[in-house]
Amino acid sequence: MSPDSSGLIDTLLSNQNPDGGWPYCSLRASGSPNASRSPNASSGTTAKLLADARGSVGSHDCEEPRKNRPQAGEAGETACPTSENADFPPAVKGVVFRQSTQGRSWTEPTAYAALALLAAGETGAARKGLEWIRSAERPDGGWPPQIGIDESTWVTAVVALLPPEELGPAVHARAIAWLLATYGKESSFDYRLRQWLLGNSRPADQQFPGWPWVPGAAAWVGPTSLAILALEKESRRKPSPEIQKRIECGRRFLLARTCGEGGWNHGSSRAAGYESRPYPETTGMALAALRGVAGPKVDRALAVARGFLDACRSADALNWLRLGLLTHGRLPESFCPPPRLAYRTLPEASLALLVDGGQRGREFFWG
Amino acid sequence: METKFTRREWLGVAGSAAMLAGCSKSVPMVPSTVSIVRAPAYDQRIYETMRRMLADHRVDVRGRTVVLKPNLVEFEPQSSINTHPILVHAAWEAFQAMGASSVRIGEGPGHRRNTLDLADAAGYFKIVPRFEDLFVDLNLDDVTRIRPSRQFSRLEKLYLPNTALGADLLVSMPKMKTHHWTGATLAMKNLFGVVPSGVYGWPKNPLHWAGIEECIADLHAAFPRQFAIVDGIVGMEGDGPIQGVPKPVGVLVAGHDPVAVDATCCRIMQIDPYKIGYLRLASGEANSHMLDQNIRQTGENIADVATPFVLPGTVAGVGLRRS
Repeated sequence: MSPDSSGLIDTLLSNQNPDGGWPYCSLRASGSPNASRSPNASSGTTAKLLADARGSVGSHDCEEPRKNRPQAGEAGETACPTSENADFPPAVKGVVFRQSTQGRSWTEPTAYAALALLAAGETGAARKGLEWIRSAERPDGGWPPQIGIDESTWVTAVVALLPPEELGPAVHARAIAWLLATYGKESSFDYRLRQWLLGNSRPADQQFPGWPWVPGAAAWVGPTSLAILALEKESRRKPSPEIQKRIECGRRFLLARTCGEGGWNHGSSRAAGYESRPYPETTGMALAALRGVAGPKVDRALAVARGFLDACRSADALNWLRLGLLTHGRLPESFCPPPRLAYRTLPEASLALLVDGGQRGREFFWG
Repeated sequence: METKFTRREWLGVAGSAAMLAGCSKSVPMVPSTVSIVRAPAYDQRIYETMRRMLADHRVDVRGRTVVLKPNLVEFEPQSSINTHPILVHAAWEAFQAMGASSVRIGEGPGHRRNTLDLADAAGYFKIVPRFEDLFVDLNLDDVTRIRPSRQFSRLEKLYLPNTALGADLLVSMPKMKTHHWTGATLAMKNLFGVVPSGVYGWPKNPLHWAGIEECIADLHAAFPRQFAIVDGIVGMEGDGPIQGVPKPVGVLVAGHDPVAVDATCCRIMQIDPYKIGYLRLASGEANSHMLDQNIRQTGENIADVATPFVLPGTVAGVGLRRS
């Protein structure tokens, strides 16, 4: 489990925008637990703490530009600070991460943060986030990545992971309806007709519809996995043949796109004639979406995920790997992310909390 | 997305008509300067090379904001897939020394979501001091909707990151690589990385459907204040831009006009620039920005540094090779 859940919760609480939503943020350590909720823990404080922690880094101004220059080829020995050798590890007990500049609220970090804070019992902040999400809904029942962007996208699946009783049953139902009506362009009638007229046969990995990042584009592993997670959660609450059919098609889509060596790239198993290599994050996502599915492809993917788990130093990738392995009962019980793991964005912090909960037996993703 | 004729299709019709009429003439323009500078290795000499190169181009950034846009693609620090961090650091120092009010580094990778982890793996945290303070993940930056001044693709609008849009100078710093769809990926194609995946996804697939070459030309038009520095110290040949193999060339190629810089890089790679679709789209009337007489070459001669890049199998048969 993550070394410091309370630090991650503080991170979410301290980075909520006044409008109730959350930005993505590029997170960095900003101080001790005592400083975390202090109104003085501003970006100026951050800069000072960074400077103090990094000691002899120097100014790197125009006058002495060569002073601390690293030597190529010996990067590991340089005096320059890195996430490995800085005095403060990015994720240690009680350290809160604060962005240096406030960004606008986005749907994805807001939905994940609300989900994580609801799970943590921080209902006040979560409900402010839910209000922001309700205000961002588009007339077609989907959600844009950010208010002001005039198209509903994959982030609708993340919204649909929120509990209907908190989001609002009617709002939630519209999110599910939007997902059910959304396909990758390669599954659309006009595209298929055009390919048929051109004499192109249908590739094996296009037999089953998945979900695109943005309507009008092709389906990909990431948005398909998220949509399956949301529909699976809905299906447990309110079973329906239509939902079940899309879940099954989505899973076949994923199984048709496994890499030759196992696991998933973000798209096809081959690109431009070459084998695609699996990514840890998409392998974890797809495994989570294949809950209850067994077979040689899943077994091979689990082996790939297990291999990634030991070497991975990306919080985002580790979150999904943990969730994917946990889904299939293959996450080692004692597994704990490395203590110096850097959480770079708020969705990473939120997901870490949710996966921690999953390791403790709480099923936020599946209802 | 609405289906209509693209600029490219109209240009194709217009070009055919022009050919039939037998009229083909070059358009006079002020030549743009493109420098080719030898840089044999990623070492300390890069700093001085970069400083001199930018001084030769008389890049005036006093009091202005600069955004450096490297090419970060995959977690493979030992390969030649990403722009080398020491080059970016050298540019950062040089622009600072030239009086820029701020110099930031921004990138929005198209494949991997965890941008800072990717930058870490590519060596940026180790080579660039205070990297996190200087870096903006363009995939997650706040955006503004724009309509490019010249539109080539079917996209009627583009959401672009405010950090890039607000820069007084956007410096494209790609790797010199072959590309399995476009033939070559250089300064102009590198601008795909400013398109925010937070809006368009990973990869930025709506751009593929709208036409890769046309979208590259759209992006070129959307950023009128550019400078290009191509990392050709070790490029990539074969199945670029990801699965190719390192190709040592030992040069940096730079200039204010990305079309002229890319055309020069193609000539170094022994690729015919007139066969690169996005260069044809963006190079103006009668390909004026690519014509030899409209490029003032400084530094090394092309012939002295040119070396044939092995082309990807996907484009090897389409006559890209320059004789």
